[in-house]
Amino acid sequence: MKYITSQLLDGLYAHVEANISKAVGEWQMLENARMMAQPEPGKWSAVQCLEHLNSYGRYYLKEIEKAISKNEKSKASASFKSGWLGNYFYKIMLPQDNGIPKKKMNSPKDHQPGTQLNSAMVLNEFISQLEILGNLLTRARNIDIEHTRVPISIVPFIKLKLGDTFLFLIAHINRHMKQAERAIGSAITETSIAATDNKLVTEFL
Amino acid sequence: MSQIELLEKFILQAYPLAEEEMEKFLSIWEPLTAKRKMIISRAGETERNLYFVTEGIQRVYYQDEQEREATIVFTYAPSFSGVADSFLTQTPSRFFAETLTASSFLKTSFLQLDNLMKQNHNIERMIRLLSNAAFAGVLERMIEIQCYTAEEKFKTLLKRSPQLLNLIPHKYIANYLGIDATNFSKLLAKIRIGT
Repeated sequence: MKYITSQLLDGLYAHVEANISKAVGEWQMLENARMMAQPEPGKWSAVQCLEHLNSYGRYYLKEIEKAISKNEKSKASASFKSGWLGNYFYKIMLPQDNGIPKKKMNSPKDHQPGTQLNSAMVLNEFISQLEILGNLLTRARNIDIEHTRVPISIVPFIKLKLGDTFLFLIAHINRHMKQAERAIGSAITETSIAATDNKLVTEFL
Repeated sequence: MSQIELLEKFILQAYPLAEEEMEKFLSIWEPLTAKRKMIISRAGETERNLYFVTEGIQRVYYQDEQEREATIVFTYAPSFSGVADSFLTQTPSRFFAETLTASSFLKTSFLQLDNLMKQNHNIERMIRLLSNAAFAGVLERMIEIQCYTAEEKFKTLLKRSPQLLNLIPHKYIANYLGIDATNFSKLLAKIRIGT
């Protein structure tokens, strides 16, 4: 796949902004019980989906930052060509047209979320990671995202192009945010009233 | 309403500048946009610019050597933003100012504003009145910090700026209130139940 670099980075940035809006405008207003409800026994709650993403973010955001800092003097090029492996990782992350993943995957052990999670802390970290990711995309506009490389988490001697790393990472985030959304949708409880309801805020005051 | 009209309206509410004075005052501003989480002013540097917010939310915060942060104030349209004390005294700032959402501003420099104030008594007076109001705001916040419980601070913030709650990450609100994520989550639960 070949992309126009500025369009690619703008598009990815728009995804990150939309994800922040969802997490900030909707999810942080939900009650903890709803964020932590498992749709079925053994299926991840919304918070577990986010913790799974956080565990990848802890690795990739640090590595992307390092790669960008090391290549600060490189020059941005007008187009970006996906590598075969990067493109493969990206493609398997993409959902079908109905939003459901093509293939169910099992997460590596290190990235399986526990069940004793603090909803507020997981969500805070998730939002912080998205803020950092947005800033990294902005910084990446000034450097060569084709020749800047990032080691992958499972086998660090394999390195992906920075452009592919962003594509894959953001597709992965989108995938599990959709899963989190489905988990929240299936966890409608009697008391789940969003605090955005002005009447409630007024009563509190 | 255009950015400059928003500024004009804001100024007129503070002080009735004559048409010619207003024209002069409005001529020194230029537009600026910033994405989310962009630093506008850094600690250690002198604040050369004054910002007028027309869109988005920003915060001014202090950061110590251990990278602990203290959020001093949130700013949003229509109001001024930036590090006020450093701007007014032209000495190095101890605060950071950053955007918390994508933001639009009008911006002017200390030099331009200072020149106008030297030439025009009414503009100087208008700036003084605005500074007075800012000073009163800081003293008001002193009361909140010293006497209020976290819940009272939260209520005060919600009365003043209810829109913050679903526009910015709650970690910044918790930081402003001086509480951690878990305690903030408990405060939020009280709103949901509506007690």
